[in-house]
Amino acid sequence: MSDSSISRDAVYIDKSVHEIYKQLTEGNDPVSVPFRTMKDVFLMAASLGYQKGVRQPLTGKRELIFRWAQFSPQTDLPLLKALAISTTSNIEVLVSPEEIVSIAQEYANAGIHELRLQILEETGQPLLNIVQLLGMNYR
Amino acid sequence: MKLEWIELEGFRQYFSRQRLTFSKDADRRVTVIHGVNGAGKTSLFLALNWCLYGRIVDNITIIDNVGELVSKEAVARTPIGGKVQASVTVCFLHDGERYRIRRRVEVMKESAEIIVPTGYEIATMMRVQSDGQAIEVRNLIGMMNSILPANVRQYFLFDGEKIDNFAKPEAAAQVKQAIDLVLKLELLNRARYHLNLAATEYRKELKQKSSGELRKLIEQEEQARKVREDTQARIRELTDEIQSARLKIKDIDQKLDALPNAQALQKDRQRIERDLKQRGDEREKAVQYIRDLATTSHFILAQSAFAKALGVLDTKRERGEIPSSIRRQFVQDLLDEMKCICGRDIEAGSLEYQRLQQLMQKSISSKLENEVLDTTAALRVVVERVQPTLLDLRETMDQRVKLSEIIRDLEGEQSDVERQLKGSPLEEISRLEKNREEYRDDIERMTLEIGTCEGEVKSLNARIKNLEIEREKAEKAEARERLLSKKMEIAQRAADAIENAYQAHADDMRQRIEVKTKEIFKSLVWKESHFRDIQLGPDFNLEVIDRYGFRARPELSAGERQVLSLSFITAMSRVSGEEAPLVMDTPFGRLSSQPRDNITRYLPELTDQLILFVTDEELRGQSLENLKPRIGAEYRLEFNPDTSCTTIEEVK
Repeated sequence: MSDSSISRDAVYIDKSVHEIYKQLTEGNDPVSVPFRTMKDVFLMAASLGYQKGVRQPLTGKRELIFRWAQFSPQTDLPLLKALAISTTSNIEVLVSPEEIVSIAQEYANAGIHELRLQILEETGQPLLNIVQLLGMNYR
Repeated sequence: MKLEWIELEGFRQYFSRQRLTFSKDADRRVTVIHGVNGAGKTSLFLALNWCLYGRIVDNITIIDNVGELVSKEAVARTPIGGKVQASVTVCFLHDGERYRIRRRVEVMKESAEIIVPTGYEIATMMRVQSDGQAIEVRNLIGMMNSILPANVRQYFLFDGEKIDNFAKPEAAAQVKQAIDLVLKLELLNRARYHLNLAATEYRKELKQKSSGELRKLIEQEEQARKVREDTQARIRELTDEIQSARLKIKDIDQKLDALPNAQALQKDRQRIERDLKQRGDEREKAVQYIRDLATTSHFILAQSAFAKALGVLDTKRERGEIPSSIRRQFVQDLLDEMKCICGRDIEAGSLEYQRLQQLMQKSISSKLENEVLDTTAALRVVVERVQPTLLDLRETMDQRVKLSEIIRDLEGEQSDVERQLKGSPLEEISRLEKNREEYRDDIERMTLEIGTCEGEVKSLNARIKNLEIEREKAEKAEARERLLSKKMEIAQRAADAIENAYQAHADDMRQRIEVKTKEIFKSLVWKESHFRDIQLGPDFNLEVIDRYGFRARPELSAGERQVLSLSFITAMSRVSGEEAPLVMDTPFGRLSSQPRDNITRYLPELTDQLILFVTDEELRGQSLENLKPRIGAEYRLEFNPDTSCTTIEEVK
């Protein structure tokens, strides 16, 4: 997908990390392939990116992975807004959905590599590695 | 085309304006222009050609190496630095329309001996309408090419001195070219050439583009589909085998159930298996729940973001900026009472008063205010979910661990039962249990293989999908190739068809011209009994066969060659049906009296309009008498040696 055709209500990732998203979502076994959707991978990657304090603008070819409408208003949108406000310290960002998504994309773009390391590269089953990531040790 | 008149002014030796009207009469179709050598016959012939076509047209040289066109007398009479013009006007009829072409050229007299062209040379063509109005024809060259093409002109307006060219032994190419041009076969030739060129280009392009890519992709896709079919068939086969093995196990279980020494152990096993199934389901359910909880609890990782964001939002609220309506009401109350909450009076115009006024004006948009309020509430809800979610996750994880332990214990019991049955002193029980174990191992092995096969099918599905996309792309490319191939085929077929049509038509024309040339030659030649035949073979050599059957062309006299060429030219004009005059400059110079008499007798019959530029020597006696009944106009070019100028005098 070229930059000239960027949709305002779409969420993009760098094409180079699309494979990681696939590894984490494509499979039937919940223990080895834990994520149900790419949206969940994206939000986990963005949260981890924020936690680690790493942001990486999208520079290469982009891939549209889902639309804004897929974010749930109960947990997903509050997370995106929390990331945006805490990053800019400015409440005006709340009326700019493009900026909110852009900030999340940048955290996810950096956080996805960390997520891959902690879930796929660590010893143990990927599902249990997520639980570990959330602060519990059951491995 | 039928010429009406020509007018010259300042053109070579025609210094003063001179006009000559050609005869158009059907009975008296001949115009004779007499002139001694140097009187201006060739200049007049030149003027006609130049006026109609210019100096060069479509890369065909009309006049070449003829010196200046302007009158020397006019130049002499012009002062140095002055300009001199030459002009020729020709009027003719064609297809019932009257046309007039006027061509002018200008030079400047640089010195007494030197004149230079000013670059001014212009021709205008007018068409005279039925009401007498003249309108300009914009495309003179195009119009003349449609009336009498420049490259065909030489066969109608020709120099008698060069007329014998067609009868020369090396003239085959010229004869062929003349036939092509006059009979308009050249058009077919060009069409064939261009279509062949197009077909070659298409072929080249096709060769570059055609890669066989589609065939390769189809083969790959077919292969992938075949492998997928085989794998799916293997899955079905394994499923059937598993089913069969399960039935066998069921059968064994029934047999064991019937044996008193195995009954107790069998019951234990059935209970263990029931428990294992139940606990397994519970653990599976727990795992699914953990999965859903863990993969959507990203907010737990981002707790610090929520805390910081809430801090930013709370600051706004603490400052009383949100909700703005509360602040506005509060400030408005202070301003209404003009009293601070501490009890002090607020003076109008004081700093406090001004600050309160500013606060009233400064407010955030209602959209943002709503967003802030909603977001604050939503963030708090999420934050409050962190601990319950973690607790929930922990409890489910503990449950999963506990279930795993139970399952492990049950599996231990199951192994123990199996061991006891296998080690039974009763051979039948031991044998049945061993068989049962084999079937169970088979089921396990086959279940694993099914998993592997399913994985393969999945990756094959992805591969087939990609191949389908690539194939569709290649199909589109091939559709373009097919179109190109079709174009090439059409171009080639058309070129071949035109080639055949050309050959057939050219051959037909050649034969008709041969017959006509023979007929004319026989009427013009004076040794009719000596020459038996004229041949124009497929090699386009114009041949004369004598009474002995020999080719007589090498032995022809210059006059006979001239007659042969004249016969050929007039034959062409007859066969072509082209409506054009025959204009001949000194046509009889090389002929002795006998052929001249013959030609003058028959030539007027061969064309609708005949214009002859002759010397008195070449047209006299019987020849002149022959022509006289057909002469409609006769002129004499009078050259004045004193002025070196010519005037055209009509012979009454």
